[in-house]
Amino acid sequence: MSWFFKSKQVNLAILVASFMMGFVPYFLEVPQVYGFANTLTMVSAVVGQFAIVIAIYSQYRRSLRFISERRKGWVYNIYLLVLMSVMILMGFLVGEHHASYMWLVNSIVAPCSSVVYGILAFYMFSAGARAFRARSLKAALLIIAGITVLLYQAPLTGAYFPGISPYAVFLTEKVGMSLNRMFSIAIITGAIMLNVRMLTGRELAFMGFVGEEGS
Amino acid sequence: MITIVESLFHIPGVVSGRALGLILIIGIFILGIYYMRRRKLPYIRRVAAIDAIDEALGRSTEMGRPILCSYGRGGFAYSVIAAMSVLGHVARIAAETDTRLLVPTGGSHTGYLTRELAVDIVRSQYQMAGKPEMFNMDDMPFLSGEQYSFTAGYIGMLVRERPGAVIMTGGHSSEAMNIAEMSNLVGALTITSGTYVSNMAALACASDYIMLVDEQPAAGAYLSRDPEQLATIRVIDIYKILSLVLIVVGLIILNATGNDFIRGLLAS
Repeated sequence: MSWFFKSKQVNLAILVASFMMGFVPYFLEVPQVYGFANTLTMVSAVVGQFAIVIAIYSQYRRSLRFISERRKGWVYNIYLLVLMSVMILMGFLVGEHHASYMWLVNSIVAPCSSVVYGILAFYMFSAGARAFRARSLKAALLIIAGITVLLYQAPLTGAYFPGISPYAVFLTEKVGMSLNRMFSIAIITGAIMLNVRMLTGRELAFMGFVGEEGS
Repeated sequence: MITIVESLFHIPGVVSGRALGLILIIGIFILGIYYMRRRKLPYIRRVAAIDAIDEALGRSTEMGRPILCSYGRGGFAYSVIAAMSVLGHVARIAAETDTRLLVPTGGSHTGYLTRELAVDIVRSQYQMAGKPEMFNMDDMPFLSGEQYSFTAGYIGMLVRERPGAVIMTGGHSSEAMNIAEMSNLVGALTITSGTYVSNMAALACASDYIMLVDEQPAAGAYLSRDPEQLATIRVIDIYKILSLVLIVVGLIILNATGNDFIRGLLAS
């Protein structure tokens, strides 16, 4: 039976049917198919729950191997396993809305996530510092535009150099906005064309059909 | 004027306001199939970021370091699907050249599903290269379902494994900067793709090569060298030119006469 589900034609047929279930109700007034799209979403949610179990298993297996082989950073894997186990147990025993579970989220998960997000500012700074080297005309234009907008955004310079405001607003709202629209058009067209290749069976690498079978 | 345009494009049975979109999508499909059947190759400029993938793989192999390739942290968005094609290509070359491939997975609640697909793709490539024993599931760890836990895990992998190259395609958002900069710090050749418009400029600064806008959805076709797939890139160009002409003509007409027909057309 497995050959049936591994067949390229069967997978392609399911892909086309799923596409139609999403495409038709979005564009056409056909109430009969509205339910199909919801059912499909529910099916993918159920499959997703199974995938969570596999993902957790893979994390446990990898961490235990790291610890048993004393690989670099193995101590962090102990921390990870303990926290993960506690979170899973608490989730099953008291539920995700219980105060003790929320304490774990608010006291451990949220602050750690905030720290990683906060570091982003320093990374932006170091990347910006590398980019701000005028090696060509294009780089020089980038620096002028960048510094203008930077000075406008900073509260102190914005107050002391009000003359910079119209140029910064022009760069942000006219030049930036028009380029943004152009990018959006190109991305969407590229995405639709990718769909055409997928639905006609030309690009099926995302389904696992690679090399001679697809892609 | 917008009301006039809407009534002009009102088709019975089609959801109000979506008729023009439907016509445009059907047009793209017809043109795409037409060009695929013709198999006439358009001129395709070199895309430095995609060409650099092979260079990056060669660099990692020569340095004896692993290569790290990620496909984004989202669900089945177009960017992740396009990134799977890149992952398949990278996995094939890694298998052929005996280079260790690391693929961090997860990053969102929809990442559980895409992970299974990525594992399948990489495993298939090792099997096709005749080296199934080289596939190591532990090199494709599920880091977390949360964005910043995933980021921390990803950065940890970069620091510990010190890859020779990092190919980060697919849907990454703000965490992309953390990853790209850390990749630079560990001395890896960094190739990224900017699908999230807001961080495209920042990523361009942090990466050695970047795939911009429609280069990523076209990456699968570009890497396959298949004439049928490459021919579809012409359709993207046609639509881009059409959109640009409409925008410029619309701007001229709007400023000269005050008529906003084209704006209404595009808004519908």
